[in-house]
Amino acid sequence: MQPLLNVVNLFKSFKQVSGLFTSRDRIAFGPVNFTLEKAQTLAVVGESGSGKSALVRTIAGLLKANSGDIYIKGKNISSLSSQERCLSVRMIFQDPSSSLNPKMTVGKILNAPLELNTDLNAEQRHQQILDTLKLVGLLPDYLAFFPNMLSSVQKHQVAIARAMILNPDIIIADEILAMLDISLRFKIINLLLKIQKEKEISYIFVAHNMHLVRHMSDHIIVLHHGKIIEKGTTEKICHSPQHEQTKYLLVSHQPDYRK
Amino acid sequence: MLINNGFNEDKIQSPLRYIWSIFKSKSIAVVAMWLVILLIFAAIFAPHFVPHSPLAQNSDKMLLPPYWVDGGDIDHILGTDDLGRDTLSRVFHGLQFTFGGAILITFIVAIIGMVIGASAALTKGIKASILHHLLDALLAIPSLLLALILITIFGPSYYNCLIAISLSLLPQFIRASYLAIEQELGKQYIIALQLDGATNLRLFRYGILPNILEPTITVINRLFTMAIIEIATLGFLGFGAQLPQTELGSLIASSMELIYLSPWLVIFPGLAIFLVIVIVNVFAEGLRHAVIEGEE
Repeated sequence: MQPLLNVVNLFKSFKQVSGLFTSRDRIAFGPVNFTLEKAQTLAVVGESGSGKSALVRTIAGLLKANSGDIYIKGKNISSLSSQERCLSVRMIFQDPSSSLNPKMTVGKILNAPLELNTDLNAEQRHQQILDTLKLVGLLPDYLAFFPNMLSSVQKHQVAIARAMILNPDIIIADEILAMLDISLRFKIINLLLKIQKEKEISYIFVAHNMHLVRHMSDHIIVLHHGKIIEKGTTEKICHSPQHEQTKYLLVSHQPDYRK
Repeated sequence: MLINNGFNEDKIQSPLRYIWSIFKSKSIAVVAMWLVILLIFAAIFAPHFVPHSPLAQNSDKMLLPPYWVDGGDIDHILGTDDLGRDTLSRVFHGLQFTFGGAILITFIVAIIGMVIGASAALTKGIKASILHHLLDALLAIPSLLLALILITIFGPSYYNCLIAISLSLLPQFIRASYLAIEQELGKQYIIALQLDGATNLRLFRYGILPNILEPTITVINRLFTMAIIEIATLGFLGFGAQLPQTELGSLIASSMELIYLSPWLVIFPGLAIFLVIVIVNVFAEGLRHAVIEGEE
């Protein structure tokens, strides 16, 4: 049985201009290897600047890796068309208030990926949009709304709906919870977990808060200076962290709301 | 359905409608808008409603002052020039050349500039470099000077002057639209749309264009103001409209030697240029503020 997502020796570096004509390579991450199974959640943690955002953005297709391969269901991602890629990997951006076009209604925002990546007709698209809205817990009324009329949680719900609408295999969430306050954070988490149970979607999660990660994820990758310093099941890493850096991360994220 | 339609206020307005409803509440801007519409009609239909032909000479009524000054004639409301030609008719015909020409230039430059700016911003590599860095070099030359250089190549005439001004204003517009689009391209909703596999055309139509209204209005307004000033300047210098054509700048130039004898001949065309620029700027500024408020 091959894994859903298999990342092999993925490596990325940015060119950094250091002099007038010289440039240095600054390593963003890698080489990294990991796999992700169906309906599992992988959390990518690490201090800022450790390359976790670059890693998930490369998997989502926003950045191009220098070397290494990504396989989805055994197929190399570079051999997939952009449509096939969209249908299997979707991304939720960090801040939904800037990732939703302020001049488009929610209906149009949700319609765009369907129109571009599937050959459903208008009626089927509308049905799909309604189903997805129901999945994320929004009323059909919201289709006519513009993003600035929604509350921040509703924006998150729309952003999740946009990622979910193509029924992808993997959803990448890049620190989506950082902007929300505690209670709303749990609402979104419960929503994501409910969707995972229903649709058997895999998540790749970038997060700061170790306690949320512990609650949500099945596997954890700890990145430090672009290298994987520790990976394993959530239980193992949270209970017996091996690396110094992992311990720091666990200690630094004491939940302050319990004080 | 939970939307309460009992009150009209609850209707969800499209962004453009919303901007329009804000704009309507700004009375000065609305007045300016009607004046702009009036100016456009005046420019188009000037030959049909002016009382005299702008070229009809009348040796009995030379250098008349406006009718409200002693010695004026109600038949020539704004007086006549040294050949007895009616100033009012000449100013309206001048409006046709100056204002109409400026609108034409604005329209053409805005479309061509937007297309070039968008294709420069949305493509990468050599094409983008040529499109925008090559034109950057032209920005070093003041646009009026550039227009003068082009006029000396083409030869002075009204149409050549329009072409020269269009070409000299184009680099600025390309630069401005390039910058606005470039800035927009970094936004996350554009990246999200790109990830969905949107083509550049779709990206531009739905993602970028509705979000760059405000900088576009500003830059089009500036374009128009510069176009009108440059047409008048070239006309004044004798490089633009040639003599029988009554362009406002050349009207001023041809009356310069009479300025002590009959200052009205210079005042009215000058006032017309001034008023047109003020009206259009008030309108554009009102529109811009409405767009800014609408985006919040």
